[in-house]
Amino acid sequence: MKRVQFEHSAVPYLFIAPQILIISIFFLWPAVQALYQSFLLEDAFGLSSQFVWFRNFEDVLSSSSWTRSAIFTVVFSVLVSVLSIAISLFLAVRADEVIRGAKTYKTLLMWGYAIAPPVAGLLGIMMFNPLMGDLYMVFNSFGFEFNHIENPNDAAFVVILIAVWKQVSVNVIFFLSGLQGIPKSIQEAATLDCKSPERRFWTITFPLLAPTTFFLLVINLTYAFFETFGIIDVSTKGAPGGSTATLVYKVYVDGFLGADMGGSAAQSVLLMIMVSVLTVFQFRFIERKVHY
Amino acid sequence: MATVTLNKAEKTYPNGYKAIHGIDLKIDDGEFTVLVGPSGCGKSTLLRMIAGLEGISDGEISIDDKVVNKVAPADRDIAMVFQNYALYPHMNNYDNMAYGLKNRGHSKAEIDAKVREAARILQLEDYLERKPRQLSGGQRQRVAMGRAIVRQPKVFLFDEPLSNLDAKLRVDMRLEIKNLQQRLGITSVYVTHDQVEAMTLADRLIVMNGGVAEQIGSPIDVYERPASQFVAGFIGSPAMNFLKGKASDDKKHVTVGDGVELELDHDVEGGRDVTVGIRPEHLQMHSDGHGRIDAGVRMVESLGAETLAYLDFGANADNVTLRLQGTHQFTQGQKLNLSVPAEKIHLFDVESGKRI
Repeated sequence: MKRVQFEHSAVPYLFIAPQILIISIFFLWPAVQALYQSFLLEDAFGLSSQFVWFRNFEDVLSSSSWTRSAIFTVVFSVLVSVLSIAISLFLAVRADEVIRGAKTYKTLLMWGYAIAPPVAGLLGIMMFNPLMGDLYMVFNSFGFEFNHIENPNDAAFVVILIAVWKQVSVNVIFFLSGLQGIPKSIQEAATLDCKSPERRFWTITFPLLAPTTFFLLVINLTYAFFETFGIIDVSTKGAPGGSTATLVYKVYVDGFLGADMGGSAAQSVLLMIMVSVLTVFQFRFIERKVHY
Repeated sequence: MATVTLNKAEKTYPNGYKAIHGIDLKIDDGEFTVLVGPSGCGKSTLLRMIAGLEGISDGEISIDDKVVNKVAPADRDIAMVFQNYALYPHMNNYDNMAYGLKNRGHSKAEIDAKVREAARILQLEDYLERKPRQLSGGQRQRVAMGRAIVRQPKVFLFDEPLSNLDAKLRVDMRLEIKNLQQRLGITSVYVTHDQVEAMTLADRLIVMNGGVAEQIGSPIDVYERPASQFVAGFIGSPAMNFLKGKASDDKKHVTVGDGVELELDHDVEGGRDVTVGIRPEHLQMHSDGHGRIDAGVRMVESLGAETLAYLDFGANADNVTLRLQGTHQFTQGQKLNLSVPAEKIHLFDVESGKRI
């Protein structure tokens, strides 16, 4: 179908120029820089560099620490996304059913949104402080021998807990608005057709929330990939032994602390490719199933 | 097959607002009852109380002599058709109709037979695989009706089902609903603010106002003998004319306007102030001048089949509407000579609005 194309002035381009400028300066230019740098081998003082083609990539992909970090990132992202979506869906649905004091519940559930990730990380790590952390004490009083400073699984548990806690409030906001978007009469029709509230939830409410859930899945995976940097940096710093370092955190550690610019750039290029593939995959295969 | 009985049913909201003030009603088996009234009169609330979507504050509602006050909506064996159709957007039309049956544990073959039968009755056979959003408003409303009839419930509840349709479709669907209800013989309660729908569909009409049933009766009864000034003004289009009047001392006449005496067919207490109601279609026009009412034409609306003339009557220029068959030519200010048969004059109490 041919669409009508009207003549227009340059004004629209003027309006989108700031956004284009921001994307160019903070995304396109660094991305190109990273790509260029990933082909260079630089000495530790940054005085000389050498073009080495794909050697940085070979080094990264063959290093066991990168593979370990990649596996951790995948497990971490999936767990954080699934747990925070599941928990917030449960909370939002229950809060939506409340009649008395509904506003208070909802406000309290959203409150966590106002907390910056590093602050959340700080709160979390204080809770797990071996000397004064309440949760640390509680776990150990049950005889768990909980020690996130030495045990990689315990450390992973701590970062996942903090990351999920931080994200739940965001998800609750979206689920609450998603629930508002379901017409009341549809829910009423369902109460006439189906007696069991659980069955009603899985057959009517949940499918109608699918677009919200899909959106949140995308947002939460991105969050787990990138935005948990602050949480990890403040809480475990990737310890013990890099077992809680996500790929993003590893890029920072290797590049800025380890001064391996080329290797770090190669990692970020790989990360960029992974995220692109993930995004395409999400929109291609999942979104198709949720629209009604 | 079922009866619905309301025994002093009341609804008070938590904020203290009383929406329904004790309604007594018995709906017979297979009867088509229409609840009609202006917005906010409580008609939808009453329907939703029968459905179980609203709680009952006081009194009892029974279906087939079984009190259902505490029975869950799904267990009342009722089906409801909503104004905005309320179809499940993520299911195709077949599943929309089958959903209630599936949840009640019917076998697949049984569900299939019932859905296909309903689709046949409603001419939806070609649309079963489609999603509701791919249908027009009228088709969607048919699917909603299908969802109600597949269950063969004891009672059908309709909540302004035709309000979202355009005028022509509304007439078609109105006939279809009436037809379907007569064929299936299922007790029905229908809520509308449209008096044409109310008059045409109802076996029995309940005119509601401010949470009270102002009148319960057959449509013709309500039209011919409205119980109150409210009912008289609400039923009939254009609305009934109301004039201030005073009963004469001989009890057989009533005086309106500048001393115009109208004859009555029943006695009324002499000297009493009354509201006189005359329907626009009951005013008769005379060319020989022996009508008692003289009024000047203010505005005319020609509808082809009928003509509506808006008249100024008496010294206060009270508005009077005249409805005539066919087309008529009037000029503005033209004097018309009118009369009204004694049996077509309605009298109402000035204070209470009750029929005298």
